[in-house]
Amino acid sequence: MELEIIFTIEPIRTGPVELPSREIGSVLEFQGLVREMEEGKALAGLFYEAHGPMARRVLERHFLELHAGYPVVAVLFIHRLGWVPVGEASLFMRVLSSHRAEGLAFLAEAVIRLKQDVPIWKMAAAPGLGNEGASSG
Amino acid sequence: MGSSTMEITILAFAHARENLGFSTRTVSCDPEESPRTLMARIAPGADLRHLAVALDSGYVSWDGPLGQARELALIPPVSGG
Repeated sequence: MELEIIFTIEPIRTGPVELPSREIGSVLEFQGLVREMEEGKALAGLFYEAHGPMARRVLERHFLELHAGYPVVAVLFIHRLGWVPVGEASLFMRVLSSHRAEGLAFLAEAVIRLKQDVPIWKMAAAPGLGNEGASSG
Repeated sequence: MGSSTMEITILAFAHARENLGFSTRTVSCDPEESPRTLMARIAPGADLRHLAVALDSGYVSWDGPLGQARELALIPPVSGG
């Protein structure tokens, strides 16, 4: 499995899909956008921070475990950090596979696992202490 | 504390940082000490109930030994995505 995990403070931009082989039959792309309403309040955006090295390690473990059950060919995972305005993507995933079934299952389960124990946090306002929270890596 | 004192860097993220009042702090510790006893020593009364703890980027028990870890991360409930 080709696996790329990226944390960025820039708006998420992705290039055209590059197929690693002629056996790719399914290309899935998912974007998670920041919504305006959060717990009944209208927000301008959200501030994301992460323990970058640990988040990468936990994600790699999850993706390898999922790959055992859903043998996808390539995964691109991008999570934005820092301030993300409403309407922009905080998360992007692209999953390439031979067949749609394993790709759809991998993607759905990956997003569930992301929200279980991957050390990434969103907050309604930027941190007031130290302000170095967006540790990419 | 024994003769094998070492240093460990504590990282506090998100709400843990707001509650504890620091984002990074380096303290002396003993390899036999647990994350729970270390935090009780440097932040008495801190509410750890909703925090997970990681040593060198791996989740661990609050009551196991620090061992040779160089970094202790306090992990509030995550909310990525």
